[in-house]
Amino acid sequence: MKIGGFLFALGALFYFLVAGVYFYFSKDEIGTTALVMTGGLAALVAFYMLYTDKRLDAMPEDRANAEIDEADPEYGFYSPHSWWPLPVGFAAMLIALGFTFAAWLVILGMGVLMFSVIGWLFEYYRGSFAR
Amino acid sequence: MTILNEPSAAPTTTPETPKQVRRSHMGRTVVKWVTSTDHKTIGYLYLIQSFFFFVLAGAMALVMRAELAVPGMQIVSLEQYNQLFTMHGTIMLFLFATPLFVGFGNVIMPLQIGAPDVAFPRLNMLGFWLFFFGGMTVALSFFTPGGAASFGWFAYQPLSNAVNSPAVGADLWLLGLAMGGLGTILGAVNFITTIFCMRCPGMTMFRMPVFTWTVFITSVLVLIAFPILAAALVVAFIDRKFGAVVFEADNGGAILWQHLFWFFGHPEVYILALPFFGIASEIIPVFSRKPIFGYKGLVFATMAIGALSVAVWAHHMYVTGSVYLPFFALMTMLIAVPTGVKFFNWIGTMWRGSISFETPMLWTMGFLVTFLFGGLTGIILSAPPLDFHVSDSYFVVAHFHYTVFGTIVFLWFAGLYFWWPKMTGRMLNEKLGHIHFWLVFIGFQVTFLIQHWLGVQGMPRRYGDYLASDDFTTLNTVSTIGSFIVGFSTVFFVWNVILTWKTAPKVTVDDPWGWGGSLEWATSCPPPRHNFTSLPRIRSERPAFDLHHPELSDVSQQPVAAAPSGSSS
Repeated sequence: MKIGGFLFALGALFYFLVAGVYFYFSKDEIGTTALVMTGGLAALVAFYMLYTDKRLDAMPEDRANAEIDEADPEYGFYSPHSWWPLPVGFAAMLIALGFTFAAWLVILGMGVLMFSVIGWLFEYYRGSFAR
Repeated sequence: MTILNEPSAAPTTTPETPKQVRRSHMGRTVVKWVTSTDHKTIGYLYLIQSFFFFVLAGAMALVMRAELAVPGMQIVSLEQYNQLFTMHGTIMLFLFATPLFVGFGNVIMPLQIGAPDVAFPRLNMLGFWLFFFGGMTVALSFFTPGGAASFGWFAYQPLSNAVNSPAVGADLWLLGLAMGGLGTILGAVNFITTIFCMRCPGMTMFRMPVFTWTVFITSVLVLIAFPILAAALVVAFIDRKFGAVVFEADNGGAILWQHLFWFFGHPEVYILALPFFGIASEIIPVFSRKPIFGYKGLVFATMAIGALSVAVWAHHMYVTGSVYLPFFALMTMLIAVPTGVKFFNWIGTMWRGSISFETPMLWTMGFLVTFLFGGLTGIILSAPPLDFHVSDSYFVVAHFHYTVFGTIVFLWFAGLYFWWPKMTGRMLNEKLGHIHFWLVFIGFQVTFLIQHWLGVQGMPRRYGDYLASDDFTTLNTVSTIGSFIVGFSTVFFVWNVILTWKTAPKVTVDDPWGWGGSLEWATSCPPPRHNFTSLPRIRSERPAFDLHHPELSDVSQQPVAAAPSGSSS
């Protein structure tokens, strides 16, 4: 995580620097804004990663001499298969078509979106997959 | 140790699964694919879908080339021609090349870092569905009254506003691409999280394969660029539909749109190129029988390209007369330096290696030659005085086809031939692969080399017709013949896939090429549901090579319980 954080910090530094140089020469507000925001994006990620890294021990994937056995045996839960991404994506298309063609499609799409997002969220809290 | 500590709910890891699949019928297979959360299956969906879009947009290109072969309008009307070049560019960039990156990243990247899956499997599938439905929204806009969008793939304002492009196809174009962009952002978040949090023990950042590095840098670029595109597209839609005036020409909206679009658009071409550079960096060491030359140099060059690519956007806007030329000329020339470093590394890898020209290596050589040409014309175009002369001419068309076709299509096929045994468990036919390569290579050079001269002579891009007295006819006819050779070559690829699907023997070893270095060659072909039954010790950038060639490696595998079966030749 530390290397990742440093990479983003370097990126932030670079973009802020470029933004300064660019604004000094060109006086262009649009490009400068975009560069500053890009630097901000990198700084945000860098801050989060370095902050998290400080509170963790060295992870086995960051140590050059780690053995495979050192990974956490409880690796996490992986959804084996799921129906829900399909209706969420479909609802997005319904809403897009609705904005183009007819308002009632937007309402229908919002309904499908609500239903499928709730289904997605609670998929592993109910039924045979509850855990 | 095994990393398959499956929760009891997951049903698909027993070894009997393949038999069950073979006995089940069509419907069950379809359900299995559309509900999949397996990163490999989702990756295959991306690859299949982008091949479909490649054929579609390629067919559009052939119609355009046929139209341009001789003066006069023979096949399509001028409005239809506008729709064709718009959709050709849109589909090739957003619905073919970008998903191709996500597809290869999905299939290969988790294998290379020894992860059982990506960090967010369901989000991964949502990304695919957003791309699929967004892509369909864009592609099917051909069937609306007024046809598809016809303002060019960069949708300059005010041409694309409600007054100048009133057809509903433009609305569908904007919203479909915004959906696809959202899907790509979700994919990038997923990749970055996976690379940061799910590497196997000992796989430090600077032991990751170069392809994984490029997927990481590319994902960062996606996070920078795609939100701007999505926002700009939605605002343009609000302008059209609800009468906002953000991109109104009176308020300077035309230049604002160009800035926003190219602030996305230039990182986008590196989003397309970088992961494919990664594929070249995977293939060259395997067929040169040498480790990659200057691993860290290659990684830092990738980072430098990623960082610089955000600061060069306005070189697409030289001719607007309202950008600061010296800054962008300098930055654009600067970005050629890390790209040159990469070439140096690839050639250094081959230098005094024991090179053999299997199909993947052949495609990579085709890429090196073609992309070098494109890179050199890129340096010409980065100089404003030269750019003013050839801007928006066929010179630019030739330049970017040399770069993007040279990178994406050549290395796409290189990657497919290279990883086909890993993905399907069968090798593709070498002879058909060679025919396929030479047809594409020759056809491509015939089509596009000549367009440099067309551009210098003054033929503008995006014109559906020209006069016999313009003296463009011979060059255009030759270019059209070349394009049909490229189109014809696809037959050999499809034939190859069908033939080997039916007749090729199963690959039984982990590494059919014999000298694979990264971790995907340390698991079976195709890999099991969660990728590995056991992992080798990670002590270098080439764990699979250390595992299969202990006599050439100083890494001991001793404590690993059961090495994967079948070390190869």
